[in-house]
Amino acid sequence: MAEEVKKPEEVKKPRKPLDPNSAKYKLGKIASDAFATAIEAKKQGKPVAWVSSNFPVEIPETLGLATAYPENQAAGIAARGAGERMCEVAEADGYSNDICAYARISLAYAKLKECPEQDVAMPDVLLCCNNICNCMIKWYENLSQELGIPMIMLDIPFNPDYEVSDAQVAYVTGQFWDAVHQLEDLFGLKWDDDKFQQVTGFSCRTSRAWLEATAQAKYIPSPFNGFDLLNHMAVMVTARGKEEAGEAMETLLKEYKQNHEKGESTFRAEEKHRVMFEGIACWPYLRATSRGLKDRGINMVTTIYADAFGFDYNSFDEMIRAYCSVPNAINLEKSRDKRIKLCKDNHVEGLLVHTNRSCKLWSGFMAEMSRQIGKECNIPVTSFDGDQADPRNFSEAQYDTRVQGLFEIMESNKESKEA
Amino acid sequence: MVQDTLKKFHEAATSPRKQMEKYLAEGKKVVLTAPVYTPEELIHSMGFVPMGAWGADMELNRSKEYFPAFLCSIVQSILEMGIKGGYKGASAIVIPSLCDTLKTLGENWKYAVEDIKFIPMTYPQNRKPDYGIAFTKAGYERVMRDLEELGGKYDPAALSESIKIYNKHNEVMRKADEMLAAHPEITAAERSDIFKSAFFMTKEEHTALVEEFLAELDKQAAGAEKIGIVVSGILTDAPQLNEIFDEFGMHIVADDVAAQSRQYRTDAPEMDDPLQALAVKFANMDNCSVLYNVKKPRVQWIVDTAKARGAKGVVVVMTKFCDPEEFDYVMIKKACEKADLPLALVEVDRQMVHFEQVRTNLETFRDMLTF
Repeated sequence: MAEEVKKPEEVKKPRKPLDPNSAKYKLGKIASDAFATAIEAKKQGKPVAWVSSNFPVEIPETLGLATAYPENQAAGIAARGAGERMCEVAEADGYSNDICAYARISLAYAKLKECPEQDVAMPDVLLCCNNICNCMIKWYENLSQELGIPMIMLDIPFNPDYEVSDAQVAYVTGQFWDAVHQLEDLFGLKWDDDKFQQVTGFSCRTSRAWLEATAQAKYIPSPFNGFDLLNHMAVMVTARGKEEAGEAMETLLKEYKQNHEKGESTFRAEEKHRVMFEGIACWPYLRATSRGLKDRGINMVTTIYADAFGFDYNSFDEMIRAYCSVPNAINLEKSRDKRIKLCKDNHVEGLLVHTNRSCKLWSGFMAEMSRQIGKECNIPVTSFDGDQADPRNFSEAQYDTRVQGLFEIMESNKESKEA
Repeated sequence: MVQDTLKKFHEAATSPRKQMEKYLAEGKKVVLTAPVYTPEELIHSMGFVPMGAWGADMELNRSKEYFPAFLCSIVQSILEMGIKGGYKGASAIVIPSLCDTLKTLGENWKYAVEDIKFIPMTYPQNRKPDYGIAFTKAGYERVMRDLEELGGKYDPAALSESIKIYNKHNEVMRKADEMLAAHPEITAAERSDIFKSAFFMTKEEHTALVEEFLAELDKQAAGAEKIGIVVSGILTDAPQLNEIFDEFGMHIVADDVAAQSRQYRTDAPEMDDPLQALAVKFANMDNCSVLYNVKKPRVQWIVDTAKARGAKGVVVVMTKFCDPEEFDYVMIKKACEKADLPLALVEVDRQMVHFEQVRTNLETFRDMLTF
């Protein structure tokens, strides 16, 4: 046998510890604390809720109910490489591999009750809101059955009209208070109007700072890499009603403003082109999808997905209307106009669409909407097949080819413009 | 003769275009009704002929310009039919947003089929509390306004009358389901025609034909016993599928099919305000994959019905990519296992040409049930 050649040991540069005053540190801590706090609450015998991402956080936050977010957990599990393993557990129980991968991961976790890639506290109640999809209803119904715990359903139907109707506001308002009363009865909690006011204040403060931070992409070059938003978004999902989240988001905004003033950016390459990314991130391939853009000098400067979790309002009615107006609850025209605004505000040169196998609603009218956005903004559109959490539905080669195609059109457009 | 009426059902079930032409020639306006539930009574009362639009078995081409491949083929084929002129002449299509794919159908329809107006129907999932009933009513009023733009006129007395016509139809369809359970000689294909034809005939005509059929069937001696099964799913009208049921001697003794009995389980109550009655009807509906109920009573309904009707097994006919049904399937499977009730799962879709896999599955299932 040939003697094993010893490779020289790679000298890894020690990672510079993060500055505890930086937004990255603060946001990372809030995101990881979100899981730890619920686990600690559970240990102390306090009730824990599993909550869908666009459920009004004002309810559990005001009532002081510990929370965990299965979508956030599933994204974490997928990003750490365990998406396929967990999906297969659900599939072995009869769940079709056609079902949303977040749901499959979550149902697998409900069975196994552990996953080293991201553990969460087991729930005592489920808080479901379908303003992102009706799949959520079926997923939570099954969780409720499997775990034998109550489910509170806040139904926010898809709105086929441009504006939210008074009838819809009345319907959702009725459910809002029903949800509050059910939780009070279930766990002996008490609604406190003053606390509610405080929570809505925190939620709006966090949202305002977040939306303003994402809007800093209006500058050329953008002071940030859009993939940062995908990481920071976890805080918007899990902690937007907390005071420290507002403070951390304001730090983020300050840093982005400073970056712009100093001509710096967290996008560590020359920003040759700017695109809008459409759809949920491909968490199992975050690095590959990011690299495919960065290597070509393409910065993903904006995505509706990030702004989806910013809720700013001035009254109870406005809060309800905001929850009725999240991206997957609105019609094509309103969805299109919001994206056109993002493209124009942020000087977008191309649209990269993730046709997400897990999300029928998001992908179901994307082809027509993308055509309309491309036409209105005069930008090229390309799509790739992928999945938010199941790695089996993504091909790096296809992604690379599509991004290269988009890059070439943007290059050509730029040359024509300059000529 | 039973065979004569069965022939009429078959003709209507297999020639919806001809039926539509007939109504259009009579000067009537047709409003298409997409799956799964729509306020047909309201549409009927405002002077339109509601006709079911559940797509067709066909190859999908143009719909691919709008939908990715992983959306259910029922919805895709509805759009395909719309784009290719299969529904030409219809005044509007009412599409409820009861599942995610249906939500996207309406949005695409506006741009893909501009000559047939899209009328959305937004149902609440929390449909039982007062606020849910009020929201259903608001949804009906939204439909009403759109139908008025097409020349329809709302009249509470007319709606009360339409509710009576529809309740009567529900009653005869429930009776048909019950009587067919005692007549194995009526094939799965014939049973499918009886239900499917209801989408393409006025309810008055269909009720009369079903009553005629049932009166004749009542006089007929029941055929030799076959293998009783309960069929569950969204749509089971594929001729090849029904042929296989018949070939293997399977007798559908009850169904939990969205395009069949689920349509007829619930009547609108008698109330002073007929629109309120229609909203209460929706509140009372249940046992369906697209109607939220945390207790999932549909699952036990299937088990109980199978036992009550003496079924030997349950066949879940899964329309590919239908996630509401796919979630429920796991619970149905568990409940059947617990009840010691054999269960088979077969997958179908509107583009399917080769049913060999279905045949193999059902052949094995037949062998299992008769062993």
